Amino acid sequence: MRREIPLAITFVVGMTILMSYFFAGTIPGTAWNLKNLAGDITGWGVLVSAFAVLLASVNLVRIHGAAISRKRKGWYNSGILIATMVAFALVGILRKHNPANTGINDLFQNMFNNVLSPLGAAMFALLAFYIASASYRAFRARSLEASILLAAAVLVMLGRAPIGELMWGQFPVISKWLLDIPNMAGQRAIMIGAAIGGFATSMRILLGLERGHLGGE
Amino acid sequence: MTAIAGTKFLLWTIIVCGAIIVGVVQLSKSGKRIPKIRRIAGLDSIEEAIGRATEMGRPVHFTPGLSDVTAETAPQTFAALEILSYVTGLTAKYNTELIVTIRIPNVFPLAQEIVRQGYLAAGKADMFKEDTVRFLSSEQFAYAAGVMGIFHREKVASNIMMGAFWAESLLFAEAGAQIGAIQVAGTAAMAQIPFFVAACDYTLIGEELFAGGAYLSQDKVKLGSIAGQDLVKFTVMSFIVIGTLMSTWGNSALIEFMKK
Amino acid sequence: MNIFNKLQNIDRRVIYAILLVVLVIPLLRPIGIPLSVNETTKTIYNIIEDLDPATDVVLLSFDYSPGGSPDVHPQAVVIAEHLMRRGIKWVGVSFWDAGPMYAEQIMKYYEAQGAMYGVDFVNLGYMAGGETAIKNFGDNPRGAFSNDFRGNSIDSLPVMAGINNITDFAYTIDFVSGNPGFQEWVRQVQGPHGIKYGVGIVTVSVPQVMPFLQAGQVQGLLQGLRGAAEYEMLLGSPGAGAAKMDAQSMGHMVIILFILVGNVAFFMDKKKDKK
Repeated sequence: MRREIPLAITFVVGMTILMSYFFAGTIPGTAWNLKNLAGDITGWGVLVSAFAVLLASVNLVRIHGAAISRKRKGWYNSGILIATMVAFALVGILRKHNPANTGINDLFQNMFNNVLSPLGAAMFALLAFYIASASYRAFRARSLEASILLAAAVLVMLGRAPIGELMWGQFPVISKWLLDIPNMAGQRAIMIGAAIGGFATSMRILLGLERGHLGGE
Repeated sequence: MTAIAGTKFLLWTIIVCGAIIVGVVQLSKSGKRIPKIRRIAGLDSIEEAIGRATEMGRPVHFTPGLSDVTAETAPQTFAALEILSYVTGLTAKYNTELIVTIRIPNVFPLAQEIVRQGYLAAGKADMFKEDTVRFLSSEQFAYAAGVMGIFHREKVASNIMMGAFWAESLLFAEAGAQIGAIQVAGTAAMAQIPFFVAACDYTLIGEELFAGGAYLSQDKVKLGSIAGQDLVKFTVMSFIVIGTLMSTWGNSALIEFMKK
Repeated sequence: MNIFNKLQNIDRRVIYAILLVVLVIPLLRPIGIPLSVNETTKTIYNIIEDLDPATDVVLLSFDYSPGGSPDVHPQAVVIAEHLMRRGIKWVGVSFWDAGPMYAEQIMKYYEAQGAMYGVDFVNLGYMAGGETAIKNFGDNPRGAFSNDFRGNSIDSLPVMAGINNITDFAYTIDFVSGNPGFQEWVRQVQGPHGIKYGVGIVTVSVPQVMPFLQAGQVQGLLQGLRGAAEYEMLLGSPGAGAAKMDAQSMGHMVIILFILVGNVAFFMDKKKDKK
């Protein structure tokens, strides 16, 4: 039963949502409106997600709480993590329940603008440096395929940056052709293949053929 | 109950494709025609990666990607969880420490259960610790920072990244390369495939990720569904070729048929 | 280790240091490298130019996080600027939790200049649920929110007066840095409802939009920071986007230079080995 019940729930819920895309009105023999039922199920999904957030937060607090209590190396980082988590949650909840309170709104906006936003942007900015080191290491003309990859990368980079256009007016044209023709062909092939793969995986899950996510198999 | 206009073709597509997949699965299940799957180097390399971590006495890191189980990218997460099941079995076999990091709260209990059950099945329940599966943050780059920190602090020897990824893919792959970890990645997220190819030792591209569960388990049912998936692909390819030819000659009958 | 070996294995910290210097200098002292404008950018500009300020309302979906904001937020800023200059009313919505904060940043700027919240623009806020939420909003934008981000009743806001269906928006632009994003919008809203829909996206995801652009499902595309810079040029007021383009140019050149150095050293080393 440990497996059968989740599989039955998956099938019923999945089929209901899927059918609501194709059919309207009530399910024959019942007074249940398909669209409303699908909407309710989605709502339950949001509720389940909220519990999952709680579960995940408990895991986070327990791991970092243990790091603080056992004074593990860098324990103060765990302290900062828990403190900021609590502070953001508190201010967020207060803002949600007092949308007209300017003080709380400004505090929330300031925390967002001056803490969260720059930290996220800094992480994103790291990409520039990592792209530099990764491309320096990976783009070596070791074979014909690698040489084609290298030439395409350099041409697209030159075509995308204004300086490339300044050097030779045809760089953007070549870059656009590479993006529109060979890139598009590859993108579509992977996109269609992955979509069919995703569809087959969804079918396996819906029909209970794939059970790995339930554990132990 | 009435059919919604404009969805008839889509409904029949799902029924026909589903029937093809189920039909081939039945053939495979009965043993009449068990499909053989080609060698996928990326999946073979997982054992090598875990073996290396075992030799070095250092942990293996696994991430099932950054997608939820309710999003369009959910099949990638499920495929990743299938592979996690296999990775857990191998780490249990070799007594190697496993660290699973999670971004999506919904994925957290699933991953925890997979790893716990995996250790239990291998008779090594004591290998499962509270910090084996770790939720880091649901914020994309906070999660990325957490993963990179774990790489450096815990000196991860092997890094396995499966599922849907976005801009953080290169952060993981490059941080892994910096610490000299052997890296296996797999994703159907098109924009991230080049980053993984450039920075990882092995990469599963698109559909290869979805074939992971079947390839690693060699289960008849799963192998059948992969073969069915290929048949569906041939059907789609025929539609593309016929549709392109018809459109080229100014015939829009197929397009109109698909709009029904 | 010979010189060619060394050039093939330059310490990553050296690469990072050189890149940092090259990026910072043009940010402090812009060079002003000329920039051409992409057709996909012009499409958005022309669509907005053709709107009627008396009747048309534009929907802006702020679907990005702080991480993607350096690439996408300048796009939202410059589009809002164009709408405000033309006196076109706009509505902000978000399917990413950080989105409403970016809409607020823009709205507060215009409020300080005398624009009226609720009359010129409104921030509907964040709707949880990813793709399902996008579908719900597309099916019934009026019923999806009862209050806006600031707690006002939707019915009390003049800008929402004529909005009952998603097709009541003259144009929708989605600023996006990941999922849920443009694919969900195309699947759940653009396709079923046939809305006029444009996208502003992080540079790395531009190739993903191309098939949808060619198919006509996406009308107009801002391609990363460059898209914002191009739009600033069209508006005749170079701003945050244009200022950063010089840095991007120089960054690209440094990366190409390192790739070249690595390859030249690789070939010279191979040649030496053959000898």
